[in-house]
This record gives sequence, C-alpha cells and structure tokens, in this order.
Amino acid sequence: MKRWRFAFVLGFGSLLSANGQTPPKNPVGHGSEVVAAGRAAFNRMCTGCHGVDGGEGERAPALVGDRRFFRLSEGALYDTIENGIPGTGMMAMGKAIDDGDVWRIVVFIRAMRGSASDTDVQGDAQHGKEIFAGKGGCIKCHTLQGKGGTIGPDLSNVGAEMTLKHLRDSLTSDTPIARGYKPVTVVLINGQTIKGVAKNEDAFSLQLLDYDNHLHLIDKEEVQKEDEGTKSLMPHDYDKQLSKEEFQDLLAMLAKQTREGGHKRIDGDGEVGR
Amino acid sequence: MRALVLATLITSLTAGAQVTDTQLEQPPGQDWLHYNGDYESTRFSTLDQITRGNIGSLVNKWTFHVPGPGGLESVPVVVGGVMYVTQPNAIYAIDGKSGRLIWTYHHLLVKVKDREGPHRGAAVFKDRVYFTTTDDYLFALDAASGNVLWQAKIAETDDGYSSPAAPLIAKGKVIVGISPGDRGLNGFLDAYDAETGKRVWRYEPIPHPGQPGSESWAGDSWEHAGGDTWLTGSYDPELNLLFWGIGNPSPDFNGDVRAGDNLYTECIVALDLETGKMKWYFQFTPHDTMDWDAVEIPILVDAPFNGKTRKLLVQADRNGFYYVLDRVTGEFLHGRQFERSQNWTSGLDAKGRPQRLPGKDPTLTGVKICPSSIGATNWMSPTYDPDTHWFYFVALEGCGIATMNTEKFRPGGYQYRAGGDVLLKDDTWKVSVRALELTSGRQMWETPRVGSTNLGGGLVSTKGGIIFSGESPGEFVALDPKSGQVLWHYNTGQEINAQPMTYMVDGKQYVAIEANSDVFGFALFETQKPGK
Repeated sequence: MKRWRFAFVLGFGSLLSANGQTPPKNPVGHGSEVVAAGRAAFNRMCTGCHGVDGGEGERAPALVGDRRFFRLSEGALYDTIENGIPGTGMMAMGKAIDDGDVWRIVVFIRAMRGSASDTDVQGDAQHGKEIFAGKGGCIKCHTLQGKGGTIGPDLSNVGAEMTLKHLRDSLTSDTPIARGYKPVTVVLINGQTIKGVAKNEDAFSLQLLDYDNHLHLIDKEEVQKEDEGTKSLMPHDYDKQLSKEEFQDLLAMLAKQTREGGHKRIDGDGEVGR
Repeated sequence: MRALVLATLITSLTAGAQVTDTQLEQPPGQDWLHYNGDYESTRFSTLDQITRGNIGSLVNKWTFHVPGPGGLESVPVVVGGVMYVTQPNAIYAIDGKSGRLIWTYHHLLVKVKDREGPHRGAAVFKDRVYFTTTDDYLFALDAASGNVLWQAKIAETDDGYSSPAAPLIAKGKVIVGISPGDRGLNGFLDAYDAETGKRVWRYEPIPHPGQPGSESWAGDSWEHAGGDTWLTGSYDPELNLLFWGIGNPSPDFNGDVRAGDNLYTECIVALDLETGKMKWYFQFTPHDTMDWDAVEIPILVDAPFNGKTRKLLVQADRNGFYYVLDRVTGEFLHGRQFERSQNWTSGLDAKGRPQRLPGKDPTLTGVKICPSSIGATNWMSPTYDPDTHWFYFVALEGCGIATMNTEKFRPGGYQYRAGGDVLLKDDTWKVSVRALELTSGRQMWETPRVGSTNLGGGLVSTKGGIIFSGESPGEFVALDPKSGQVLWHYNTGQEINAQPMTYMVDGKQYVAIEANSDVFGFALFETQKPGK
C-alpha cells in the first residue's frame, strides 16, 4: 500500500513538471450544492478504487486523510482526474466523465480534505456567535478568541484545524473523549472531593483541572476513590437542541475561526510531496 | 499529618494560579517566577533543604522529554508546583512533582523561515503565562488550561527578526526583546499591557538623526545598525527602572562604515518602566568590532562601596571586564579585567572607557583578538550569593583570528556581519566557573569545566550553600560557593546549554535543568513506599 501511495505522489509530481502549464480554473464554483453533486458523481465513478465517499479504497488510496501529499490545489486535482497518473492505476478519466462533473468531484474531494475555514459554509456567523454564548451554552466550557471557559478545548483556531465533517460530527455524534478532557471525580483520603477533567494521568499521579479552572497535582497514593466518566462532557445533540437554522449558523461561525498568523493544520492548497 | 499535607497541596495549587506584583518582587523560594529568579537577577534561592551535608543524596526524580529538535536553552518558571517550559514555538505545563505533562500549546508556523530559534523561557503574571515565538508573536495563555487569551505581533519575521528572550513582567507590563543584531536590523525593547496585549511603549537603542547619540554614527550607518535586546534584563521596583543590555552594532566586524562610538549598542541602559525613556546608559565597548553584545545579565545588589551602601549594578561583560556601576545614576565605580588573555585594550580609564590598543580591529587578512567573538562570557546566567557576597559566572579564555570585509546590507533578514573570526580552540581555550568578590572583582576561585570547548549553561545559588552549574558535556554539577569544590554531579547524557533553577512543592525542594531535549528534576532521595 505504501508503495502504491508513493507511486501516486511521484507520478503526479512528474506530471506537473512535464506539463508545466498553468492549471485550468474551476468553472462550476463551490458551495454545498456543488459539493453534493460532486459527491454523487464521485460515488458513481470512483468508488471501485477509492471506496465510497473516498473513505476506503481497495485499489487506490483513501482520499479523506489529511496527509500532506493529499493537499492538492483544485487545478492539480483536476489534472490528476482528467489525465491520470502514468505508471499507476490512476487512469485518465477525462473522456469518461463530463468535464463539469470532474470539477464537481474536485470540489467534493477538497471539501472532504480542506479545513472548515476553506469551505463555503452557509449560515449567519454573527448569529452563530450569539448561539455560542447563549442558547448553545458553548462558552461555559470553550474559549473563543480569548474569552470563555477552559474545561473544553480552545476553539479559536478550530476552523483551520478541522474539516467541516469533523466539526459537524463533534456537534452531533458521540465521538471518543479527546485526550486531556476525560471527566473524573476524585475522593482524597482526607475526604475532599475534586471534580474536573484529567489533563494527564498515569498509575502514580493525576493532573486534574477542576471546573473553577484550578489545577490539582495529585499523587495517586493520596486518592481514596477515582471515578472516570465514560461520556464526554461535550453534548452531541446540537442538531436536536438547536433549530436547523441555529445549528447551521453555529457551524458557519465555528468554521470561520482561525488564529492570526496560525498555520492551517489541514490545507487544501499545497505542493505534492513533502 | 497526611491531612495537613493534602490541605497544603490543594491550597498551594489554588493560590499558585494568581501571581501578584508582590510575589514577583520576592526572592525565589517555593516558586521560581522569573527567567533569572528575581527582578534583581541574583538567581539566589532562599531554599535550604538541599545542603552541603545532604547533597550526596540528591537524585533524579523525574525526566520530561520535550519532543522536537532538542537544543533547549530555556529556564522553566514554576508557580504553585506547575512548571512552564518552552522550546521554540511551544510551551509545556508540567507537574513539578512528577514531571508529567498537564497541557501543551504549539504555535504552528506558516513559513520555514519563521522557525529560527532558540527560545529562553516564559513569564507569569496573575493567572496567565506569556511567551514569544520565532515569528515574533507575544502570546498570553491561561496558565491552567493553555488556552490562548491574546496574541500580539512584535515584529515582522520577513525582515529577519525573531523573539527568543523570556519576557519580564513588571507592574502589568510585559517587556519583550528582539533578535538578532547581526542582520543590520535595528533593535528595540517593547512593553505590552499584560491584560490586553496592547503595546504601551517601544524603546529604540539606535538614535535617529538629531536625537542624542546620533552623532556617534557616521553618515547613514544608523539605518542598519543592530543593537538588539535578545536576553532578559533586570528591574528595580523602588527606582522603577529596567536595566537592559544592548547588543552589538552592525555590521559586526567592519567598523569602518560606522565611525563613532555607535551608541547605544554595547550599553547597559536604564529605562523608566512607565515610559520606556532612557534615564542613563553606560557603554562597555564603544565602537565594538568583535560582536561582543553587552546583553549579559546585570545583577542588582545593594552593598557597601567605599564605606557607603549603594545601589549597585554588576555585570561581567563579553569584552573581558567586570563592572560595578551605581544603578541610580549609571556612574562607573569600578572595573576589573577578568579575562587574562584579553589583548585589545590596555585597561579602563577613570570613567570605565576602554583604552584601545592599535591594530586590534579585524582586518582583511586577519588579526588575533582576545576574547574571540564568543566573548569572555556570554548568555549563561551568573548568580550572586549574599552569604558569601561573591559574584559567580561562566568565563571563557579564548581568542580568534578576526577578519573583516566590505559586505553590504541586504534587506530581507540576511546576515550583515562583514567578517568573522576563526576560533582558536587550542590548549589556551578554557571554560570555567569563577567567583569574584562583589565590589572589587577580585577572583576568589576558579573551577574548570572539562570536556568541551563550549560554554555550557549558567548558575544558580541557594541558601543551602550550593551553586548548581550545567556543563556543556552534560554534567550537572554542584559546587561549594566558598571554594568551588565539586560536591556532587550527575551525567544527564546530553549537552547542557540552559540555566538551572530550584523550587519547592509540598515541602520538597527540587532542582531542575534542561539538557538537550529533556528537563530533569532532582530532589533528595527518599525510600519509596510499596504501591497500593
């Protein structure tokens, strides 16, 4: 599998240099409708090798990862689909797929791989901010641009760090508890009870952040009882708690959160190879 | 007893979350709140649990690995048992008892060019921790969670600037310096509001035309003049003055294009904390042509001088001399050569100005100059022990063959050194720890550092009668402050280029030092109890 991916990368790199032309520009635009159409076209034509939604391929790489060599510009992706990769199983699909659909597939792939901030998310971000601080209750646990709670992750750069799918899933699905955010209740030998999240833990010590933003450095030998929560403190039903419009506005606001000068962990545009 | 320990545990950690101005003015004890331990930069800890009598039982209690390229040069700060350690573009909060990670924040960079290190440490105030990045941001983080509260842009990395120094925080202002001065970039020192991140003032050591000191720069040489601020300075709360060392002039080795004294490079400057205005300056090396940045740590001590107690500032300078100044006025009180091999001056005059010897500037073909461009000492922190009244520092005897050329300034962060020196690392090249009597500068003892030609790390002294010293080959060493005798040592197995520090949690004194890519925590041995 590794060899196949390597061939994919090298092949594509040489294609670009051999071609040497400015990549063509996207004529179909972006937006959720284009992404949906691209997804349909992808699942019609590409799943045989790359798997449904590009998630798991039998004969070609999965496309949903955020590996650096997948970070291709729109033009480069188009070129790959249109002309294939010589010496690999990636065929030239230009004659088999309508040109518009090639571009829609490109938009779909980039929507899967690109950061949420790179994606055109419909919604009223200003209203989303109000939901964040109000009805959603998010600000109690999360910091956003320097303000808010600390028991949950800082979301000030979340648009650059997550794909839109990952962002949506975190609001609507019961995902595994992230490291450093497992809820714990500790009863010390002196009877004191401390509740919070375990920032770190081993068999001998526990580093606990309580709900009042105080750190506790606890030796396990001083612990009488420790209860670990199995569920994340993060509610996973925002699609039900909020109206459809409110949810979309919250999502749109979060997708726009990027830190000044901060690098995007997931980048839609980039070079082939490392 | 157990309940008491637990009560101490909980209350101390809760209290540690808030660092006040009063705490920042205290000498280091339980907490270590500054890069150099206290505002006076004495690096003398009041902790006395580890002593001459029991240091044989000092053992490594924990090790924290810092992922990345290594080469750590920072000093941890500790608040309420939580240690904050930095490497370029990353900060780690560590449990000071166990060495376990609590949180980490990584600043991700946009460009490869932004990655230049090193980094020297963080600062703390109220419930926040502050650090700078190689792409010139100052960050304020929540100390408990590591969440970002604000970030401020200090300089433009594309110009060639980086920000390696640990900030110093005084009365709500975060003081940050800049680097490097070897690219023809003019330095500055900034103060930011600790609450908002808004810049309060900027001090520029290179005077513009018409300003005092501008006459010390020929023509337009002031435009690409250096004078950076890459090491943390000191602060006197009573005088409300900052004392900061200023780096070398540019180009480093070709002084012909910048005739004059080149103020205020190679100076210690006293700045009003409120305004950033300079109150006085003292220049160690007028018209430096050997890259002898005067950024070495100034130590502030109140001590008798000629029968009268005075507010002193002492500094061992890279040019090979030890200086005693009056820090109220900047008056030169005393200077003494400590580098035996220095050959560039016949000595200091009554005002402390060095009397240059002819032919001791770099040439096209090369001249032997001592000290070399590395200097007779460097950024390794010195310490002052009030029990011995002696000043301790890391010294280097070593020369270089210095050349100059006619390299021109190029914008974009390129080197603008116009020369360099070949280091003569022969048998005369010696690194040592030395003790000087505070006001006379007389050498009291010297203990060699063996096994490397590099300077290594700095020093810390303690009320327990110990000086801890990090040596370049990786040996962490305890010295007797009265004799320099080695009392204890531990091989970290990695190169040390950082300064040690000490703190206390739950009644136990720890000593910590960084070595290459790890932080080591030491405490007195105690038998472990069987696990539950």
